[in-house]
This record gives sequence, structure tokens and C-alpha cells, in this order.
Amino acid sequence: MFERFTDPARRVVVLAQEEARDRGDDRIGSEHLLLAVCRAVDTRAATLLAARGVTLRLVEDDLRTSEVSDRDALASVGIDLDEVRDRVEEAFGPGALDNTRAANTRRRRRRGHIPFDRGAKNVLELALREAIRRGDRTLGTEHVLLGLLHRETGRAATVLHARGLALHDLRAALDDGPPGAASG
Amino acid sequence: MADATAVAAAASSRDPATGLAAVASLRALLESLEELQVRNARDQGWSWQQIADGLSVSRQAVHKKYRRHVS
Repeated sequence: MFERFTDPARRVVVLAQEEARDRGDDRIGSEHLLLAVCRAVDTRAATLLAARGVTLRLVEDDLRTSEVSDRDALASVGIDLDEVRDRVEEAFGPGALDNTRAANTRRRRRRGHIPFDRGAKNVLELALREAIRRGDRTLGTEHVLLGLLHRETGRAATVLHARGLALHDLRAALDDGPPGAASG
Repeated sequence: MADATAVAAAASSRDPATGLAAVASLRALLESLEELQVRNARDQGWSWQQIADGLSVSRQAVHKKYRRHVS
């Protein structure tokens, strides 16, 4: 599927893999692709995002806000995780709860290949469809960005929509670009 | 704990994302606590059968899950 990708688009895929690994996630999701697009400065997608005030920093903040921590999740059912941790540490020593095999398996850094989740696969498939729709022969970062704006692809679309970006606006912005502009 | 209050309010609004996250976090907490207690029991000389009885599971289940990581 990657044979039609431009070099910048390939770089975005590699950066998304690195994002997932650095965060200890076991799947590449649409949010990792979005972070990767923001990181790939000087690409068409990053330029489009920057022109609309969407920066890496903002996206990171938005994603953090939408993540529910274990502490908050447990508080919602009346369990005080800090209290549990304190009591366990009183009995078994400092770090006892966080140093179990179970806890470490959960946030283990993955080596090697990290697979795409369903949403991220959708992003790339939709990106390809956007490229075909526009009559572009290659798949660039701008098509990946259009893919990220489709509602059914996961967390990235939620963040982008909340920041006021819409699929039809970005499509129009690309239409206004110089004809035959190189994809990238 | 203002955040926790907000989340608690969200939970009562039946937001699936919050409810499912609570279950996932509970499961993770359960796994850590179980491992700690199984290890502690073995350190104190409990048999796998005694531990299984304490957890209300079969001896095979607890042995299979922990034998490689807990002596």
C-alpha cells in the first residue's frame, strides 16, 4: 500500500511509529499519525495545520486532556488510587504497587514492529481515496491530513474538529493551491 | 480532587468512555494486587492450593498464571 506514498508521507508513517513507541502504546492510532504530521515540519500537511493555528504543542495538550488517567477512572467508581498505593507501600515497601510484573507489562516499551489499529488503517485508506479523488498520482502528507479529518478514524478527528478544522475546508484549501503543485 | 469530582459527574452521566476506563483501570489494579499477594503468600510458605482457596479459583489456574514468575 505504501508504493504511492511520497517521501514526506513515508516519513510521517515512520514518525507515527516512533510516537507510539515513545508513549509505550501497543498500536499506532490516528492520534500518532496526527502527532507525526505536526512533527513533519515543512510538509504540506504541517503547513496547512500551522496556518490554522494547530501546533504540535496544542495537539499534545488536547490529547493529554482527553486521556483518562487511572487515578481519575478509579475515582469515578469511588476508589482513591493514591490511598490504595499508600497502604500497599506501607505493607510491601516503596514502589510495591508500581513495580509488579503486571504493572510493567502494561507500559512496557515495545520493540520492533508496532501494528496500525483499525482507525489508523482507515486514515491511510481514506488518504489514498482522497488522492484518487483529486486525481493525484502520489499520496502526500496533505492526503493523510484529509484522512485524519474523517470522523470514523478515531482520536485525531476529534481533536481536529474541536480545533475548528473540517474536511470540506481542507479540501477547498487544497483546491485553491497552485494547479499541479507537487504533492508532499 | 476537582478533576475526580468532574469525572464522577461524568460517570453518573453514563458516558461509556469513562465507565469503560474505570473497568480497565480496576482490572490493572486487580492484577497488580493479586501478584503482590500471591508472591507474599509464597514467601510466607503458603501452598498453591492454599493460595487458590484464598482467591476462590482452582489450584491449576493460579499455578499456571504464576509458577514462572513466583517461586
